[in-house]
Amino acid sequence: MFVLLVLLWVIGVLTDVEKPRWLRAMAALGFIFVFGLCFYRYSGARWDLFTTTFLNPRMMEGAWSELWLGLWMTLKLALVSMVISLILGLIIAVLRSSKNPVLDFFLVIYTDFFRAIPLIVLLVFVYYALPFLGIALDPYLAAILAVSLNYSAYMAEVFRSGIESIHRAQVEAARSLGLRPLQAMRLVILPQAVRVVVPPLTGLMVALLKDTALATIIGLPELLYKGIQTMIWKANPTPLVTVALIYLLVLLPLTRFSGYLERRSKKWVKSAK
Amino acid sequence: MGEERQIMIETVDLHKYFKDQHVLKGISVKVYKREVAAIIGPSGAGKSTFLRCINRLEEPSSGKIYIEGVDITSSRVDINKIRSEIGIVFQSYNLFPHLTAMENIKLAPVHVRKIPEKEAEQRGWELLRKVGLEDKAHAYPDQLSGGQQQRVAIARALAMQPHMVFFDEPTSALDPEMIREVLEVMQNLASEGMTMLVVSHELGFIREAATRVLVLADGCIIEEGTPRELFNNPKHSRTKEFLSKIL
Repeated sequence: MFVLLVLLWVIGVLTDVEKPRWLRAMAALGFIFVFGLCFYRYSGARWDLFTTTFLNPRMMEGAWSELWLGLWMTLKLALVSMVISLILGLIIAVLRSSKNPVLDFFLVIYTDFFRAIPLIVLLVFVYYALPFLGIALDPYLAAILAVSLNYSAYMAEVFRSGIESIHRAQVEAARSLGLRPLQAMRLVILPQAVRVVVPPLTGLMVALLKDTALATIIGLPELLYKGIQTMIWKANPTPLVTVALIYLLVLLPLTRFSGYLERRSKKWVKSAK
Repeated sequence: MGEERQIMIETVDLHKYFKDQHVLKGISVKVYKREVAAIIGPSGAGKSTFLRCINRLEEPSSGKIYIEGVDITSSRVDINKIRSEIGIVFQSYNLFPHLTAMENIKLAPVHVRKIPEKEAEQRGWELLRKVGLEDKAHAYPDQLSGGQQQRVAIARALAMQPHMVFFDEPTSALDPEMIREVLEVMQNLASEGMTMLVVSHELGFIREAATRVLVLADGCIIEEGTPRELFNNPKHSRTKEFLSKIL
């Protein structure tokens, strides 16, 4: 009962915006410390067993070279798919802005379909089903195809929203100067639209990089696949934990970077109005 | 004027519908070379629509439009070529925000006329001098005041060396103290003999610079004449009513 009251009081302090900042910070720190201490003391966790199982340096011997190969494959897949889906997405968005009803119809089907279908299903389909249609791809190409199809649909939508966010008057000003439709798009609309869509695009890139792990299902030797393999071979999950750390190491700077771009673009968009 | 005057713009029975709204109800107008024609009229009368139809930013529903004798409603005409001969200055300036003043001015000459970058830049400086903004060449639109932006927009329109310039309420988005600087530029342009079609309610400017005033109300030209005739002695009751409101 007493503990509960103290707890309530601490929570009261650390969420009260009228208290000074340092006091709230201290309250939060104390809270975390007490909570951690309790967990360490009373949870019955077996720390020695935990470290030898999940963070065992000996189990890493010989695994590094495999994991490096996996990381390299992951980055290759991510990079190639990014480039393809960026280009494809941009082309789709530009085509859609022409408002051709027939083209629009098919492109809407494309973007809706590939956004709706789970990537893992698409991977399986591309790898295992396409050979029946006479298209047999090795895991690497199959993964590139599936990821690019999936992400080009997302990116097309992002580009389209960017293009549509540019005021119609800009197109009119460009066209009234005698610029042709594609010139107006290239010289006036896209340069403005790109600034708007860079933050959501980098967000998509992060997601794409993470999603490459799904290619494990078709046996592509990327980072996660290599991690699982070494885990089985060593009969110890340390390699998998290492894989998680590698993903974090690669992705954390990227998420920070996309946050930075977002703040910057907000400033730009505001000043453009 | 006894000399034969070249017709720059001619519309014949021009109609425009937006869905079932009849905005322009058969407008037939001739604008001659070196003329400054002002269009006035109550808001919603179709003034902007009329202007926008003439370079087909809006497709006219029926009727003919001739620009320097060429029927631009024909599907065979290269509308981009026609548009490049007509400068337009918009109410909301519509400068390209990602480009500096100079880049705004150079864009069309370089990409439409294919003029070398150097030459376009040189012309850009001349134009900026003309509108009094040489020192703002490298400023972005959001660093300029409304009046300065509109002057850059005029310079951008002139950079294509158009045969005529349309102004669509060029000063109605401006603060009062900036209207003068824009009108001065327009007045200079008029005195250089540019053919101008101006939608505006700046009666001072119209009195000084316009050679003719057209009154557009409910989609029809209800009256036209020289500024003096029209302002001192309006014939149509709608004109009287409208003038009494803005004078």
